[in-house]
Amino acid sequence: MAKNAQTKNESLYLKKVNKRKLGGSLEFTTSRLAFQVTGVLALLLVLWQVLLPLVKGEEISTVIGIITAIYGLEFLVQFIIVKKIEKEITGTAGEISNITRKMGILLLPSVVTGNFLVFIAGAMLLKKEKNLEYQLAVYSLLVNIFVILISLFNLFKDTIVYTFWTGIGFYALYAVLNLVVIAAVSKYTFGKKPDKKFLPFAVICLLGIALGNVFSFMLGLIALGKYFNKNEEVSVEWIDVIKRLFRNYTAVIGMFFVVLFISISIGSNLTFDYDIAISNNFAARLAKPSLMYPFGCDDYGRCVFTRIIFGASISLIIGIISTIVPIIIGGLLGAMAGFYGGRKDNVIMRVLDVLHAVPSILLAIAIIAAFGVSTINLILALSVSMIPSYARTVRAQVMGISNQEFVEAAKACGAKNGTIIFKHIIPNSLAPVIVQATMGIGSAVLSTSSLSYLGIGVEAHVPEWGNVLKAGSTFLETNPYIAIFPGIAIIIIVLAFNFFGDGLRDALDPKLK
Amino acid sequence: MKSQKINDTFARMYRSSQYRIWLWILGFFTMLAVHIVYKTKKGKDAFAGMKEELRGQREMQDLKEQFFQDALVQVQKKNEYFKKTMSESEAQKQARAIADKNFEQLLNDKTKEQAEMQKVHEITLVSCYAELMQNPAFMAVSFVLSFPMYILMLLFMRPIAKYITERLFLMIFVLFGVTWLVFTILYIAPMDAAMNILGQTATPEQIANFNHIYGLDQPYLTQLFDTFKNLLTFDLGNAYQGNEPVMTAIMAKFPITMQVTFSSMVVALIIAVPAGIVSAIKPYSSFDYIAMFIALLGLSIPNFWLGLMLILEFSINMGWVPATFQPGNWVTLIMPAIVVGTGMSASIARMTRSSMLEVKNSDYVLTARAKGLAEKKVVLKHILGNALIPIVTMIGMSFGNLMGGAAVTEKVFNINGIGSYIVDKQFIPDIPVVLAGVVYISFVVSLMNLIVDILYAFIDPRIKSKMKNY
Repeated sequence: MAKNAQTKNESLYLKKVNKRKLGGSLEFTTSRLAFQVTGVLALLLVLWQVLLPLVKGEEISTVIGIITAIYGLEFLVQFIIVKKIEKEITGTAGEISNITRKMGILLLPSVVTGNFLVFIAGAMLLKKEKNLEYQLAVYSLLVNIFVILISLFNLFKDTIVYTFWTGIGFYALYAVLNLVVIAAVSKYTFGKKPDKKFLPFAVICLLGIALGNVFSFMLGLIALGKYFNKNEEVSVEWIDVIKRLFRNYTAVIGMFFVVLFISISIGSNLTFDYDIAISNNFAARLAKPSLMYPFGCDDYGRCVFTRIIFGASISLIIGIISTIVPIIIGGLLGAMAGFYGGRKDNVIMRVLDVLHAVPSILLAIAIIAAFGVSTINLILALSVSMIPSYARTVRAQVMGISNQEFVEAAKACGAKNGTIIFKHIIPNSLAPVIVQATMGIGSAVLSTSSLSYLGIGVEAHVPEWGNVLKAGSTFLETNPYIAIFPGIAIIIIVLAFNFFGDGLRDALDPKLK
Repeated sequence: MKSQKINDTFARMYRSSQYRIWLWILGFFTMLAVHIVYKTKKGKDAFAGMKEELRGQREMQDLKEQFFQDALVQVQKKNEYFKKTMSESEAQKQARAIADKNFEQLLNDKTKEQAEMQKVHEITLVSCYAELMQNPAFMAVSFVLSFPMYILMLLFMRPIAKYITERLFLMIFVLFGVTWLVFTILYIAPMDAAMNILGQTATPEQIANFNHIYGLDQPYLTQLFDTFKNLLTFDLGNAYQGNEPVMTAIMAKFPITMQVTFSSMVVALIIAVPAGIVSAIKPYSSFDYIAMFIALLGLSIPNFWLGLMLILEFSINMGWVPATFQPGNWVTLIMPAIVVGTGMSASIARMTRSSMLEVKNSDYVLTARAKGLAEKKVVLKHILGNALIPIVTMIGMSFGNLMGGAAVTEKVFNINGIGSYIVDKQFIPDIPVVLAGVVYISFVVSLMNLIVDILYAFIDPRIKSKMKNY
């Protein structure tokens, strides 16, 4: 009996050790998520696109059949690799063998089918030592490939916009440069300080922001930041935050989607035809999803896919502006209230209480009722209703910080109030505001689409996601896909911002420093 | 005994400057009588005599001189340190002021000390009041003439009642602010209701006539004042369009919105709290990951899209439930409740998990386990009970979002509630409808927040005891 219990305890202990080992391995975590998600997707495809039509006696389209088969194959390969990794890590060697690492090459082509998780798993598996720079370069490449892939859907259309090949050329060129950067990263950046030879590559990376590639921009910044860091023993704080962020895989995936949406909304100006998104084409009225119109057409014959792509930039711009404006106004008010306290605090907070008492959507409706339906008014309405919550966050932070010793020291040195607020208090109270803002962009996108759905958001002809959905809701019975796809786009971007924000919260947590 | 309690309450209320004003407003006649008595008696009692006697004493005069010398040195030292030049007379003036202040304080203290030894009481307004209240005739008259003051006193005696009264009082100001804000926004609006209703072909006379009927030609302040009055008397006149009385329409629609809101709250609580508890008890398990992913998904799904999908699946494809809401038919309430409840349950579940994780490793939980309590009791009573405050706060906050976001869901399910009423009327813009809708919803939301704040006292004994001393 006792011996039995002891072995049981031992096995439990072993299990825990193994679990910790596996959890610490980037190869395993990425691969596991890849095979799980691919499995679920493959299963859904089989159920809905193959079995359901079979039961109903309909024909299965060949494109869907091929995609299902490919996903099944990806799932199998990934599954075998996961099992291999698990065995090798928990085995005697304790590390992944070179043969298994070579198998990562098998996973890379899956990016063509849009399965980025498997691609990431492959890229992480291929290289033994991975630093932050390597990961960033891989994600940057991934974003590039995705933008090219999404843009290539235009080839199925009758006409392509005349700047199409220029746009594709830009992204393809940058993808090639990105491959070179990955090679350079593995060669030059594995010291405490990047090699001097990496600097030109860092500049290339910085240029990526023109294409909306935030990952490569960050890579460039980090390389420069590390290179110009005077004291090598002390790590740069913001680089540490990014490092902690990249330990959280779901947050990185959220960030990937955010960057992808930014990148595609910049790239779409070159590679997508705005005419298809807004001008009527009654020949294609309510067309079903096909390769030419991946998400079908709405009642004016406008391609829903193109509309969603252009909607990304509109949603992002509205979301970002209507988050930045209340941060500035609310932040200033909150900082003043928290820093001065007493009478000023009372007056500011009572005024904000009035704003806070009205539910934000209702306030937005009232403002739009007064000033009419337009994008500027929408941004104004969303901003005003968000001011109190940012002011409260900043106030609470500032009140905590302004009682600390370093502020007192600054006062004793004779610093002016303005200097203290802007140089000492605001930088130190930024972390919760950044987290709130990240989530705030997501909820602003939600509010925008809700108001557009009510017909009081963006002007009706603009391809904003809520507008696209509103058009689709009329044809819910006959053509549900018009309403389904913009909704999924909204969910993905809001979910991405939420995951990213959650990860940022953990990464910025002072307890972890 | 009872009169003692009244006197104590009076004294406590008189001490706070805000309540002093209210005593004067609500109990003017009583206060006037007390004040007259106080003024006539002041300076003629034993206490004042004692003070004057002390002041006249020789050694006290010496002390005053000494204070002055000390203060002079102090002022000079200060000037020297800050390198300030000051004329001699100016310095003496300052020193004299300091000395006088110190001397008066000392004198007061000494008198009080002596008075206590000889059992002489200082005459104050409060003691005058107590004395007058001994007289039954005065008491009766005072009760009749200034009964509002005694009602206030009754509220003041009970800490929780006092807290609620103060919060309600603040709420009135906030609601006036809300009314002012929304009215001003609608007033400065470039949108012209008359033009929208009468059409492009309306003559200037027709527009002027329309504006006259609805009082839109009045100056800003008159209109604002009328709005306050109308909102308080629940008489909002007729809507611009359809000419129906606004108040009847709102009264008919408010209960529907509340019904949807509360049923979705119930749905949210039923889903969220158990999910949050299980996630917190077994963190980083598969259930936790899946539940929290679903919660995040619930936060990210647009309400109206979820509503449309449910209609597509369960009304159009399956035909289980009707797509639109019918009052009185609870089956039609299921889908709206689920749609509105999803977003709310997501945030509540996340909050439940995180706040339970925070208290889960506390010492008292260990103690509860060590003394052999059943796991169920530990979890529900000790962990959940102590993690309840943030959860309740979250519920209160989501209530506001629910009421505000109701407009969207009501449009999807064709519910004839207040949210969709406002949205329908805002295109004109029908000022009384929009204004009344926003203000009354804000009122309900504020009331809910107040209830949540009061609930704290029942959840957390520490807050309750703090409130007792309030």
